[in-house]
Amino acid sequence: MKKAIALALAGAMSVGLLVGCGGGSSSSAAASSEAASSEAASSAASAESTGGSLTMSWWGGDSRHAAYQEAVAAFTEETGIEVATSYGAWSGWEEAKSTALAAKQGEDVMQVNWNWLYQYSGQGQSFVDLNQYSDIIDLSQFPESALEACTVAGELQAIPVAMTGRTFFWNKNTFDQAGVALPTTYDELIAAGKAFQEKLGDDYYPLCLGPYDRMIVMTFWLESNYGKDWVTDNTCNYTVDEIVEGLNFIKSLEDNHVIPTMEAYYGAGFDSIDKSQQWIEGKYAGIWEWDSSANKYYDAMADNSGFTVGQEIKWGDKKNGGFAKVSMGLAITESCKDPESAAKLINFLLNSEKGASIMGTECGMVCSKAGQAAAEAAGKVKPLVKEANDIVMNFVDCAFDPNYESSKLKGSDGVYTDVFDGFSYGDYDAQEAAEILLEGVTDVLNAA
Amino acid sequence: MSATATKPVTRSAFKKWCDANTGLFFLIPWILGFLIFKAYPFASSLYYSFTDMNFFNGIHEYGIMNYVEIFTNRKTLTALSTTFKYAFITVPLKLVFALFIAYILNFKIKFVNLFRTVYYIPSILGGSVAIAVLWRAMFRDDGVINTLLSYIGVDGPNWLADRNWALFVICLLRVWQFGSAMVLFLAALKGVSVDLYEAATIDGASKVRQFFSITVPMITPVIFYNLVTQIAQAFQEFNGPYIITQGGPRNSTTLVALLVYNYAFQSNEMGMACALAWVMFVIVMILTIIAFASQKHWVYYAD
Repeated sequence: MKKAIALALAGAMSVGLLVGCGGGSSSSAAASSEAASSEAASSAASAESTGGSLTMSWWGGDSRHAAYQEAVAAFTEETGIEVATSYGAWSGWEEAKSTALAAKQGEDVMQVNWNWLYQYSGQGQSFVDLNQYSDIIDLSQFPESALEACTVAGELQAIPVAMTGRTFFWNKNTFDQAGVALPTTYDELIAAGKAFQEKLGDDYYPLCLGPYDRMIVMTFWLESNYGKDWVTDNTCNYTVDEIVEGLNFIKSLEDNHVIPTMEAYYGAGFDSIDKSQQWIEGKYAGIWEWDSSANKYYDAMADNSGFTVGQEIKWGDKKNGGFAKVSMGLAITESCKDPESAAKLINFLLNSEKGASIMGTECGMVCSKAGQAAAEAAGKVKPLVKEANDIVMNFVDCAFDPNYESSKLKGSDGVYTDVFDGFSYGDYDAQEAAEILLEGVTDVLNAA
Repeated sequence: MSATATKPVTRSAFKKWCDANTGLFFLIPWILGFLIFKAYPFASSLYYSFTDMNFFNGIHEYGIMNYVEIFTNRKTLTALSTTFKYAFITVPLKLVFALFIAYILNFKIKFVNLFRTVYYIPSILGGSVAIAVLWRAMFRDDGVINTLLSYIGVDGPNWLADRNWALFVICLLRVWQFGSAMVLFLAALKGVSVDLYEAATIDGASKVRQFFSITVPMITPVIFYNLVTQIAQAFQEFNGPYIITQGGPRNSTTLVALLVYNYAFQSNEMGMACALAWVMFVIVMILTIIAFASQKHWVYYAD
């Protein structure tokens, strides 16, 4: 008898193991399918009675998490569709989600970065074409250019949530302590660096730039001085000699104590600038960030009374430079079993009065006209985000290449990190660094 | 008629076979788990290592290009050399430290059980993300370590940003987790016969002489076991460099396991990641074979 029980247990464990390995896909497939099998019918009926269920994921800070959760709860209340959510900080998020997408295990609705559409769904293999759900999602609310930017391989793979670009955010209190005005030109920035060092000490910097920030600032500088987009038709428009000039510009910022060296940056041991003690205490008095990130940096400061949205600096006279991009989108994964409900969720979050008024500007200044109106009417447009977004959108006059943020370039192990760390640490001179950068960028563009 | 005649014979044979192989049934859950979660990934990773498999672009090329890349690319060669450096620093340090503490805790001192518990705690916490984050905070340029050093007039280095010190910080985290090795040493020390020490004392042997001539030889089987397992663990180290330094500065803490992760999940180059994992596997296997081959020269088995 004991032996029989033990054997039964062993059998149950084996079956459990096999079910655990493969059961998920079959049952969920049944739940979504409209096939005529009784299993499918019963699952569908059960889904109908409960309003169905979805999964959704996003990255962001605490205030964005709270907004999404509130909005999703309102959606469930309105439609009866349950939404299981997963969310976290950006660090490590892309690696986790790209793996999930590759394994067809992504959430039904995903907040996606713009470059993900090109990098992970270049042939439309990861996300559904949202044009098919234009009867559910009111696409007329979105600017044509933003929809076009999210159209990859002829398919609208995500609904643009917001347009974003980079601008300066300053801690005016620290500038006041150093006795200098907020900089609006290169010369003023250099003067601020010297004043910070002399009056406040070696630990104080007017600006803090990580490796990717340096790449963006350098690109701005090049575009502004040479009047060319960084990339056109998958070809980098800059020569090694021109990039050398850009790198020397970055070096001038380091040499004049405007930005910390990469050694000082890494020595401070932080994940991101907003989490650094230096930013919290005001020792780093400036950042160059996406306009949609304003609140994150504002909230992090110990004394945020001096937080100020800065004016863009015009580095050269050929163009303004810079780039604006779709900051993020909401996409439905190919593995979603109930894309119609997923489309309803997206429309609720971006276009509906209730959803958009809850979300406000947590993901940046929203693209949707109806969404923006609802957020404004509810008083949920954060002035900082709007001010920053206005400055950026009125300034930028160069195009942004979607491969610019490829993980092979931008990742912790990527080309940008190698080039700007190596240049700052003295491993590469400007010529070497420029050659490595151009080669790395060209490789990515050729593979795209 | 003949069918009914043979049926009982068949059932009986089946029953006999079942009785003889009952153990196999009990092993089925483990065998299935092993085949699905170990054997299949193991074999498929070898296959993928000979391809240019990318998560999103699939396979376009077959060959040994990944292995050629590993042994010609500056980044992978640096990671391999850093991993060797890491292993050869941490393994001896950890073993010596664990043995030293175990030796002390083997004496009859007050609160010995409390000390044993306290020294074991890092091993429970050590591999966690929280401890790695704490480690990073401690070794910041204005962290606890440099603050303490400043009290004694020492201007501490930039631990996390100086490529000469960053690996040391990672090594230290591993060495700090000496508890599991210590427990094994402690058990081995308790197994050494007191008669041997008494005889040595009568013969006038000092404590140091007793340690090197009695204790160490008697516990060499455990030293050998710890050596092999610690080498394998050192070559798989991931948490420390990933959380504390992300492989920086300038790849000075990029160990092979971290590079495998970067290839697999940042660049989505699964073929390259598999090849690198296999290179690591072969290296650990060779080191283990060397360790096993060497044991007849220095490991003493009393039985």
